[in-house]
Amino acid sequence: MRAEKVDKIATAVVLSLAGLVGLLIISFLGYLLVVGLPNVSWHFLFSPAESFKSGGGIRDQLFNSLYLVVLTMLVSVPLALCAAIYLSEYAPQNRLTATLRLAIEVLSSLPSVVIGLFGYLVFVLQFGLDFSLLAGALALTILNLPLLTRSCEDALQQVPQLQRQAGLGLGMSKWRVTTKIVLPAALSGIITGAILSAGRIFGEAAALIYTAGQSSPAISYTDWNPFSPTSFLNPLRPAETLAVHIWKVNSEGLVPDARAVSNGSAAVLIITILAFNLLARLVGYLIKRRLAK
Amino acid sequence: MDKVKQELLTPSAESRQEWRGKIISYLAIIVIGGLVATILIFLTSKGVALFIQDGYSLGKFLSGVNWQPSHHLYGALPMIVTSFAVTLLAGIVALPLALVSAVAITEMLPPRVNQLIQPVIELLVGVPSVVYGYVGLTVIVPRLGRLFGGTGFGILAATCVLFLMVLPTMTSMTIDNLRQVPKQYRLASAGLGATRWQTITRVVIPSAKGGILTAMIFGMARAFGEALAVQMVIGNAAVMPHGLMSSAATLTSVLTTGIGNTVMGTTSNNALWSLALILLLMSLAFNLLLRLVAKKGAH
Amino acid sequence: MTEQIALEVKDLHVAYGDKRVVQDVSLKFPARQITAMIGASGSGKSTVLRSLNRMNDDLATVTGMINFHGFNINQPNVNVYRVRQQIGMVFQQPTPFPLSIYENVIYGLRLAGERDRQVLDQRVEESLRQAALWDEVKDQLKESALALSGGQQQRLCIARTLAVRPEIILMDEPTSALDPVSTSQIEDTLVQLKEQFTIIMVTHNMQQASRSADWTAFMHQGRLVEFGPTSQIFMNPQEEQTADYLSGKFG
Repeated sequence: MRAEKVDKIATAVVLSLAGLVGLLIISFLGYLLVVGLPNVSWHFLFSPAESFKSGGGIRDQLFNSLYLVVLTMLVSVPLALCAAIYLSEYAPQNRLTATLRLAIEVLSSLPSVVIGLFGYLVFVLQFGLDFSLLAGALALTILNLPLLTRSCEDALQQVPQLQRQAGLGLGMSKWRVTTKIVLPAALSGIITGAILSAGRIFGEAAALIYTAGQSSPAISYTDWNPFSPTSFLNPLRPAETLAVHIWKVNSEGLVPDARAVSNGSAAVLIITILAFNLLARLVGYLIKRRLAK
Repeated sequence: MDKVKQELLTPSAESRQEWRGKIISYLAIIVIGGLVATILIFLTSKGVALFIQDGYSLGKFLSGVNWQPSHHLYGALPMIVTSFAVTLLAGIVALPLALVSAVAITEMLPPRVNQLIQPVIELLVGVPSVVYGYVGLTVIVPRLGRLFGGTGFGILAATCVLFLMVLPTMTSMTIDNLRQVPKQYRLASAGLGATRWQTITRVVIPSAKGGILTAMIFGMARAFGEALAVQMVIGNAAVMPHGLMSSAATLTSVLTTGIGNTVMGTTSNNALWSLALILLLMSLAFNLLLRLVAKKGAH
Repeated sequence: MTEQIALEVKDLHVAYGDKRVVQDVSLKFPARQITAMIGASGSGKSTVLRSLNRMNDDLATVTGMINFHGFNINQPNVNVYRVRQQIGMVFQQPTPFPLSIYENVIYGLRLAGERDRQVLDQRVEESLRQAALWDEVKDQLKESALALSGGQQQRLCIARTLAVRPEIILMDEPTSALDPVSTSQIEDTLVQLKEQFTIIMVTHNMQQASRSADWTAFMHQGRLVEFGPTSQIFMNPQEEQTADYLSGKFG
């Protein structure tokens, strides 16, 4: 009798507290969208930012963010995938493997600002890359590697051991078994993980302010020569991303419409990340369905 | 026999593939291992420069309460205290709420609600920290200023922002851990006449204890290392905090603002790298803590 | 008795780390016959089987000789892939790849670089016929192998192994995951197959051993207790342990 009463009261308390949290979260997201979306227009998305007067857009910042994600994925996906193959398929059970796993774990626990500082020290100063997309992409790669490696390894581990043995039993090499049997079966997990990690790095700022830089010089979208200094493709130009833009405008910005620009940018960031998440689900689903056929 | 022997002893296409595979995958892992080693070495050597090159005393650095580069005073204690304070405060508020939300989602609400909430939590986990900082700056700071007077910038504002930021991470990790508790436990407990609440408190939460602790430490580690969101709302005064509403600075916020304003190799720059080293050591400590919890959970 | 010997095992020892699981096993597997290996779980029979085509390479330390055509294949410089192409393996659970039936059967051939459509078509039909699956699937070769029933999937896996044209086929409890009807179909298939292939099979199922095997090896606690013609092992075992096991005293 008493226990039942406690159960009822506790349930009510838990549900109302959870409801409160839900309300908080919904109002947080809702606020961002409600105040942000009215500022998002074609003009906002496709015109360059202003430094001193209002009415600026986020064209270059948006492009930089996306381009940086592409550059980062180009480096980090192959590296993380091969490392995951090592950990999942080749790694012997010994101290070296344990140390490597520990190293990856340590890497994943480093604050992004620390990684940004390391990038500044090594890529920007030591390698002489200056503030550039490339330096930013390398810093983001460091940030991205541990989680991406783990998600790739998880995806590989999900493939039943029997499938590997069946391949080995046919006289296939382990590498062939990995590339021809395990990888295709793990593909949906790998791609989902990669897209989710792309969403994560899309909004990263702390690792970028001292690597990709906080300025975006005028770039030309018609100059397709990646070596030309004004080309939008040039990986050696400094590039302010959308997330860095929000920070910059608010902490030392001089534009009078900082609020409007930030509101709009935040909404665009959130919607893009939502799109990444949905895309990850969709791709995972599509590949799974194709394999099941 | 000789023919068989010869065939079995000669390398085939498979042997070559195997070599290629080994080289590729071993290279990748070596690159990552080397990267971690380089990061640790670089940051450590930069971090100790203040004490070795500039001869600043480690004791004064760790216990000094004055951070005044212009007067050659590098006391990091205010930042260390502030970093711990905002992290702990945010963690203490977030943990019960994360636990309660996770329990509601996994144990009480119907699965369909669950399917709706899952993507929302995923989205929140992915919201960039700058956005949390921005909301703090435009919504939380002015409101705190009106409620308690003053500017609104300070420890409390930073705590609120970090709380908002780690709550989704902690909740989603706790949900995962509660889900891993086998269904049979719940059925068995119910079969013995336990109410749902008794089952939750005596069976479900105790068996997920290690995982919940992990979620909490993980969330606090993230809060401790967060830079920009905190920097935007804390007021950035490198002084010892004396109350919830006082402006302060964390290790990360001083780093963020300082690195661009000092010249590489100078004492004041080296002092910043020493702060970065503290951050690094703290993240290693959090890592160690997580391992200890995991090890204990395994027994 | 002048049986031809397909594979000879001499003084085989297998250990997982410090744990010795197989000790001092010596055996001669007759060619083009079915040999069943029986024994309780943990007796080491599967471990022996998996050592025969070096599937234990990464998992265990295997010492002793495994002579194939008089040549010891348990040496580090031997090309294990060639060994496995000669000594194929079928597993407990059916393991079709998520591909069409046709692609599953010729998987090994494709990897070996065979492109000639005619050769491939012919090999598919031949292998599927040998595995007694052709009549059931000949009209759906392009459809997913995952749509087949468990018994059909297992026969497909046998066909996939046959398509590589091994001399010896190792089977690790090939019917333990199947229903009785599929089991008896597979057993019939095995009897057909022994005209061309040497089959070594681990089984838990005593009746299966007595029905389909020509030879039976009984293992207990990592050692080979008795080996001989199946009828002799079942009707007139020489060792007390064998008799106890067959009468169900342990197992």
